[in-house]
Amino acid sequence: MKKLLFISLLFLLGLSSCVEEQNFNQWDDLEIIPTVEASILYVESPESVINDAPGAVWYIQTFNFDAFNEDFFAENVLDGVIVYELENTTSKDLEIIFEYLDDAGNVLDTETFTIPSAPTAVIRRETTYGTPTGRSMDIIRNTSEIRVNASNFGDTTSTSTLPDPKIIFRSSGKFRLQLK
Amino acid sequence: MREWLFFLLAILLCNGSLFSQNKELLYDFTEIPQAILLNPGMNTSFSWYAGIPLTSGIYGQAGTSGVTVHSLFANDGLDINDKIRDRALNGMTKRDEFGATIQIDLLHGGYRSKKNPKHFYSFGVYFESNTILYWPQDLAYLGFDGNADQLGRRFDLGHLKTRGEGLTVFHFGLNKEIDRKLTVGARAKVYSGIYDFHSSTNTGYFVTNEGQNNLLSNTLVADMQIRTSGFEEIRAILDDEISGSVPNVITKRALLGGDLGLGVDLGFTYNLNQRTVITASLLDLGFVYHSGDVKGYSLQGSATTEGVEVILPDALSDPNADFWQDLVDEIEASLPFEDTYNSYITFRPTQLYGSIRYNFGEPMNGDMDCDCDIGVTGADTRFQYRNAVGGQLHMVNRPRGPQAALTAFYLRRVGNFLALKTTYTVDKFSMTNIGLGVNFQAGPVNLYAMANNLLGYQNLADSHYASFQIGLNILSWGTNR
Repeated sequence: MKKLLFISLLFLLGLSSCVEEQNFNQWDDLEIIPTVEASILYVESPESVINDAPGAVWYIQTFNFDAFNEDFFAENVLDGVIVYELENTTSKDLEIIFEYLDDAGNVLDTETFTIPSAPTAVIRRETTYGTPTGRSMDIIRNTSEIRVNASNFGDTTSTSTLPDPKIIFRSSGKFRLQLK
Repeated sequence: MREWLFFLLAILLCNGSLFSQNKELLYDFTEIPQAILLNPGMNTSFSWYAGIPLTSGIYGQAGTSGVTVHSLFANDGLDINDKIRDRALNGMTKRDEFGATIQIDLLHGGYRSKKNPKHFYSFGVYFESNTILYWPQDLAYLGFDGNADQLGRRFDLGHLKTRGEGLTVFHFGLNKEIDRKLTVGARAKVYSGIYDFHSSTNTGYFVTNEGQNNLLSNTLVADMQIRTSGFEEIRAILDDEISGSVPNVITKRALLGGDLGLGVDLGFTYNLNQRTVITASLLDLGFVYHSGDVKGYSLQGSATTEGVEVILPDALSDPNADFWQDLVDEIEASLPFEDTYNSYITFRPTQLYGSIRYNFGEPMNGDMDCDCDIGVTGADTRFQYRNAVGGQLHMVNRPRGPQAALTAFYLRRVGNFLALKTTYTVDKFSMTNIGLGVNFQAGPVNLYAMANNLLGYQNLADSHYASFQIGLNILSWGTNR
């Protein structure tokens, strides 16, 4: 009988569990903030299009662009940077104006690039949003259209001697999203 | 919607968060009627037994091969973000898993044939649910870190593997003593699926590279699918889209009104000699056909994007073109995300048990005639001994392949009223899994309780694995003549 009591006691002790104090309030402190990046807009034009244009403004186009004001993105984005890169192999000095517009067509922000004729280095610019020294994040959140306005400051007859002369505009965005 | 989310959460939590289904303490514990569910061919000496409904077998098991609750939520002053990064993100791999199993006997009984005492029949109904989720390593990295500054890194979508099910099982088994050495058994099962979800054959990747034209290109190649059954009707009720009550729906599906399936258990016990016994069983060799309330989601195809592309002079041909919408449409066409309503079959997680046992010590009934031994027929010479040691193997089929566990055990019988079994098990969850099971017999009342990974009970929150099993039966021994 003693044996049985001992074994039973051992079993009960074995089953008596302890749980060290846990602090589940830590969950509130958890932050999930991934940084995502993707291309935004690519515009490419051969020099012949510039030469064929009737005036100085050889291209102007407003693009619908809903990526920024999608609810998921607009509600969670913290800050970010937009990278612009321009490459000009034409024989002309060019100006590219990049504008962010809201739903009503109001201009929220503008980037202006003046690019000398070839040969010239690739122009690269990074503009930050949402940081203390950057521009307002609301610009990005409220953007629903992008307007590209391209002007020719040179002639309309010359052609660069470089192979396949063209103006190329590249852009990408890198943003931090607060998922929790 | 809130109720619907709550329902989903409740299922996940009720299923717990890990598992392996190994019942090493109960296996071949021949004093306990529920052991016959693990080996329909086990040695039986009951005349009859009747489980107390809802209490004859209650089993729960949970485990994690990766982080524990304690490793993340201990009150240790460390930043939880650092703990998540070090211990979960950087500490686990796609092979780590969380899982849980619950099994409750709703009804369980057995009786020995009067006409042929070599035949023992068992029958019953039990509810079972289990869930397994493998750590989706790459998706977790993508979620926590994003894709920035990781050119060329492929995030493997195949890391998403999960399955879960809840079903009732109606079973009837025959246990037959072939001769003095061999006992075999088989059990037929009818499954009535209540709910099911699984997503275990996903392939594909997401990668960001330098773009050909633009600065970056994002590529998604996916062949992903999640299939569910039994959720839609409940969701519609909770969202007030249709009338009805959730308990009624669950009850109907549990009582053969849900997805039906068939299965079989097989097993045997073979006495190599008077002291050495080998056993093996194959459980849940079966399937469930899901057809009643199915809904799936698939993402199949591939797409690469470098953002909105405007290439002149071609783009001038349509001044009203919506380049953004064209891009969205193009991606959706290349990579459609679709609802599916196709019936499907799932195979049960088949389990394999095997054991070898060496009995020693004083025979429990050594001074009696053969008619009085543990066997139920005159030809039987199988004795129960006070002690037994041995080893067991358990394997279960999992989405990432078979999962195995090895167990060493010691069984001790004290008088006719108490039997104890202790086990040491090694598996992917733990290398220090010591279990203890006890079976009390007070007249016709049989009570058993078991728990494993006892060392983990020092701090349950830090345990990688825990299981328990309790049950209450009324039984009678002998030939039932």
